[in-house]
Amino acid sequence: MTDGPLIVQSDKTLLLDVDHALSTECRRAIAPFAELERSPEHIHTYRLTNLGLWNARAAGHDAELVIDTLIKYSRYAVPHSLLVDIAETMSRYGRLRLEADPVHGLILVTTDTGVLEEVIRAKKIAPLLGVRIDKETIAVHPSQRGQIKQSLLRLGWPAEDFAGYVDGQAHEIELKQDGWKIRQYQEHAAEGFFHGGSGVVVLPCGAGKTIVGAAAMAQVKATTLILVTNTIAARQWRDELLKRTTLTEDEIGEYSGAKKEIRPVTIATYQVMTKKKNGVYAHLDLFDTHDWGLIIYDEVHLLPAPIFRFTADIQSRRRLGLTATLVREDGMEGEVFSLIGPKRFDVPWKEIEAQGYIAPAECIEVRVNLTEAERLSYATAEPEERYRYCATTRTKRNVVEELVAHHAGDQVLVIGQYIDQLDDLSETLGVPLIKGDTPQKERERLFAAFRTGEITCLVVSKVANFSVDLPEATIAIQVSGAFGSRQEEAQRLGRILRPKADGRTAKFYSVVSRDTIDQDFAQNRQRFLAEQGYSYRIIDADDVFQGKF
Amino acid sequence: MEIRSFADYLRGLDDAALISIFTYRPDLVTPVPPDIASLAARASSAPSLARAIDALNQWQLHVLEVCVILDEPFSEKEVAALTDKSALFVIPGLIERGLLYADKDGLRSPTTLKDVLGNEIAGLGPASMAKLKLKKLDEVPAASKKVLDAMVWGPPRGTIGDIKKPGAGVQWLLDEGFLIPFNQQTVVLPREVAIYLRGNKVHRAIATSQPSVEGVKRDSRNVQLASIANISTFLRWTEEILNFWAQEPASALRSGGLGVRDLKEISLHLGVDESCAAFIAEVSYLAGLLTIDPDDRILPTHQFDIWLMQSPSARWLTLVSAWYASSRLSGLVGRESSKNVAPLGPELDRSSAASTRRLTLSLLNENSEIAPDIDSLFSSALWLAPLKRSGGLQKDYISFTVREAEWLGITGQGVISRYGADFLAGGDCESINGDLPKPVDHILIQSDNTAIAPGPLEHEVAQELALIADVESRGGATVFRFSESSIRRGLDHGRTGEEISKFLAKTSKTPMPQPLEYLIADVAKKHGKLRVGNTASFIRCEDSTLITQILGDKRLDVLGLRKIAPEVLICGHDAAEAMNILRSCGYLPAGEDSRGLLLSGPRIQRAQTKARPPRVIGEYDRLDEGQIESALRALRTGEKSSRKQSTMRNIATEALGSLPRTTANETLDLLSDYLQNQPSKSLSIGYADNNGLVSHRIIDPLKLSAGSLIARDHATGEVQTFRIARITGVAAL
Repeated sequence: MTDGPLIVQSDKTLLLDVDHALSTECRRAIAPFAELERSPEHIHTYRLTNLGLWNARAAGHDAELVIDTLIKYSRYAVPHSLLVDIAETMSRYGRLRLEADPVHGLILVTTDTGVLEEVIRAKKIAPLLGVRIDKETIAVHPSQRGQIKQSLLRLGWPAEDFAGYVDGQAHEIELKQDGWKIRQYQEHAAEGFFHGGSGVVVLPCGAGKTIVGAAAMAQVKATTLILVTNTIAARQWRDELLKRTTLTEDEIGEYSGAKKEIRPVTIATYQVMTKKKNGVYAHLDLFDTHDWGLIIYDEVHLLPAPIFRFTADIQSRRRLGLTATLVREDGMEGEVFSLIGPKRFDVPWKEIEAQGYIAPAECIEVRVNLTEAERLSYATAEPEERYRYCATTRTKRNVVEELVAHHAGDQVLVIGQYIDQLDDLSETLGVPLIKGDTPQKERERLFAAFRTGEITCLVVSKVANFSVDLPEATIAIQVSGAFGSRQEEAQRLGRILRPKADGRTAKFYSVVSRDTIDQDFAQNRQRFLAEQGYSYRIIDADDVFQGKF
Repeated sequence: MEIRSFADYLRGLDDAALISIFTYRPDLVTPVPPDIASLAARASSAPSLARAIDALNQWQLHVLEVCVILDEPFSEKEVAALTDKSALFVIPGLIERGLLYADKDGLRSPTTLKDVLGNEIAGLGPASMAKLKLKKLDEVPAASKKVLDAMVWGPPRGTIGDIKKPGAGVQWLLDEGFLIPFNQQTVVLPREVAIYLRGNKVHRAIATSQPSVEGVKRDSRNVQLASIANISTFLRWTEEILNFWAQEPASALRSGGLGVRDLKEISLHLGVDESCAAFIAEVSYLAGLLTIDPDDRILPTHQFDIWLMQSPSARWLTLVSAWYASSRLSGLVGRESSKNVAPLGPELDRSSAASTRRLTLSLLNENSEIAPDIDSLFSSALWLAPLKRSGGLQKDYISFTVREAEWLGITGQGVISRYGADFLAGGDCESINGDLPKPVDHILIQSDNTAIAPGPLEHEVAQELALIADVESRGGATVFRFSESSIRRGLDHGRTGEEISKFLAKTSKTPMPQPLEYLIADVAKKHGKLRVGNTASFIRCEDSTLITQILGDKRLDVLGLRKIAPEVLICGHDAAEAMNILRSCGYLPAGEDSRGLLLSGPRIQRAQTKARPPRVIGEYDRLDEGQIESALRALRTGEKSSRKQSTMRNIATEALGSLPRTTANETLDLLSDYLQNQPSKSLSIGYADNNGLVSHRIIDPLKLSAGSLIARDHATGEVQTFRIARITGVAAL
């Protein structure tokens, strides 16, 4: 028995004791193949999944290394069956390879004819295949490259894609590092992606994913299509690219509801891509009409299903996924793996915080008591109205008012789900509101004013959940949310994580009604962040009024 | 002394030789035979010989077969000629076992041995009667050669169309006497011919030594580590499976054993495959830690509680020894060919299971450096035990043993561990206690509402934690998750919120995160807010002063009132009774039904059950002539037969003496008559016992009840119950 920092559980989770002297070393060693599931303060939990092990294989790690690492750092003896299982799982990756062939176009090659025999007999695979070339090779319809990768993954025989990428139309892009420097982890991420060909980079909100995108573009040096969640994000990408790269305004186009520009670097929104006209996706052609050398998917955890389907058809183009979390509430992680690519880079939030690249944050749950009357109407509300009712109680308003007053000198965001509640708050607080129907121009004006400090407080609806860059926001007050969505909570915290000039701690308040489902949802929402090491402190509304927090 | 028989030979043996026979063949002296003649009889009996042969290895068996083929008496040289020179070293061993014996002419074998070894030993036919010119076999015609080639390695019988018109090849052989006609369609190859053709040998290949066991070499340190991991895992599995069933007992199938669904459930619970889950259950069953109770529930026994208190080595030994000696094979569960075989069921017994297991483990023990592969293990085992009765040696059984030994931790990474070797040597395996990871007594609570025990937890702590948290991950460490429902479970078990917090604060090495404190406080606050109970009736009144007054009224103490709300009392008596008592004390209660409706006035009630009118006794319908006539006829016949009976009875009574005879009805009438009119009169009765023997009793009748007479028997002076049907007659004294 060694005294290592790692405990290997029989259910394939790895527990890493962070207080152990070897923990950093061990974390580095296991990071390539184990997925970080939770990183609270003392023991981090990693999980060995098939996808994770295949990710590691894709990155060139072999089973022996994985097993050696586990044995080396393990505190207790590692169950033998687990090791056998790891070796077996990892050996499944790469037995099938997709390769380019001068005669047949795309071919599926195997080192193990048994496996090939098995897969070509599978119902889902057979239609995707062409002629059998020899015992170990079979032709694949080039158009089915994505489809076959997806289907093979489901069968448990993930194919390694060596078919290469089209270069796309070359376009000179360089990073313009004047007055700023790319951070080391951003560089690693971009390199990890480029060497892998395609894949996903996981970085916390505020850690500069845009720069990773820009760096990737500078590596690929080709025309690029960037898919983002909404128009605001599109503008921010453009601004950021102008600032960080040699690209000029003429080279960057926006393809959204408002504009339809196609330029060497085009930024399109998911919304416009998935818009249906007469029952067909009218804008999906965008993928095809241009010879893109790189496609960047921002917030890949939100990628809508139609885009997946289309992505399957463009497997010969380099793809980069950017996200803060691979948690998909719909469980389509496998699709991300097979269609966008394996995870190429990941680092715990707290580590980046420790490096000072994202602001330290304090999460506070403020519990308000409903008044007797409110309790009564809550109790009698229809079940589907209950959350809305308790999330928007008037009692919350007083607390928000008090909090805003308390943080008078700071840049404060008040975030909520329900428009009437936000209208009400905006009125009470006397601050502007940004919601879905706020015109684009007005939004930009308000955000700009907020950035310059002209406005110190903004009330925003869920339109500001993603990709809105508000570096100076230090306080977020969440009054209601999309039920128990974990990733929304993470995104909202992300709004205030940009490092502050004076190194101040950001504060994230979540105002919750006590003893209602609001509280239950809050618990669920907090789970992701708690697992990322953000511990919540619970305070009472009365403490707020007395200034004791 | 001249040796004329096996018995004579045995008589001539000295003590040492006899002791050696008994050592090899313990069945010869259990029980001890009365004399040498019966010892000889037993030693040459088929079962005993079969047992002795079972213990032979491949090479010994080959030599023995050759000995049996040779005509008696034979010499060692002859044996060696047909086998190998080294047979000379084997023969003494066979003699020591009493499978061969020597007389003045040479070696002999007990007569039954031939039968035990079978008819066509080594595929050889009977000896030819005639003198054969074997040299001719060297120039055999091509057609005949084909026939010989087909028959030489046995079976020695060949089927032909018709013995009268054989093919040319067969004809030549028949002519030369190299084939013997057996019947119309069968010819036999004589032994001498076959042996000649086999190159003056009997067996195709002679394996004079045990094939070596091949396998992968493993680092011995890793073997120990893997083995200790297996041991701790298996102990944990056993504990978990039994704790699981202690909470939700599985029910046994009607045909016995554990159902597929329950098996799936435990395999899911433990996170192991079904064959492993079946094995864990089976071993616990063998060790007596669980049983199937009369209600067909599968439950842990008290033995389990005792087991839990023992040291890990003792716990492990209990399990391993039970498995080692068992004739049950849990590996048979869930195979295609044996779908209906359930773990814990009656169909897992295989007679060769235990011996195969012993053999496999001893092979593992001998090759303690390597993880043997199954094929070489099998061929080695086959050499050691070529003649296993009941289906022979099964490769499957060997692979089951290897797999199970790994689960149990007898092996680690397929190589026998120190603990396994110690167990096989009969040791106490106490080194396990020191090598197992030390139990920890603390946990680490984290802000995501999980607690982690960074090692095996001490039993008490683990039990307490299991009460208030759900286990999320098992292994060397345990991850617990606190949730509303898990905290509630703790509260349901009688813990208070404060106790839970205190326990966690004491057990945790890290400070308690605030959200968890809140969670516990929140649940504790809500827990038990709603109360549910049973009551017979309630009294409610909107005027709480009246309620207080009723509660204070001494006259109403009988009602056992309890106040559960300012306006509600509950009462142990039913509503009607409570109302009567209240009324009698001057209150004016009104009844209320379960829906809160006022029951005003005397209720008009309806029965809730179906109508069942009573039997009617009254005027009878007038009968028609036919009915009357047939009634009369029946009556007359009855009378006749009864008179006949009575006559017969009188005759019988006279013959039997003074025993009274009455029919059951008469008896009943007489008895009730006596009881009513002459209660103190003694009576004489005949009473039949269980076997139908009638005895005469003098009794004082006391009471008639439920077909029995209760009376004082004069003979015993005790009050006794007599069944009316058994009373053959009654008469006054």
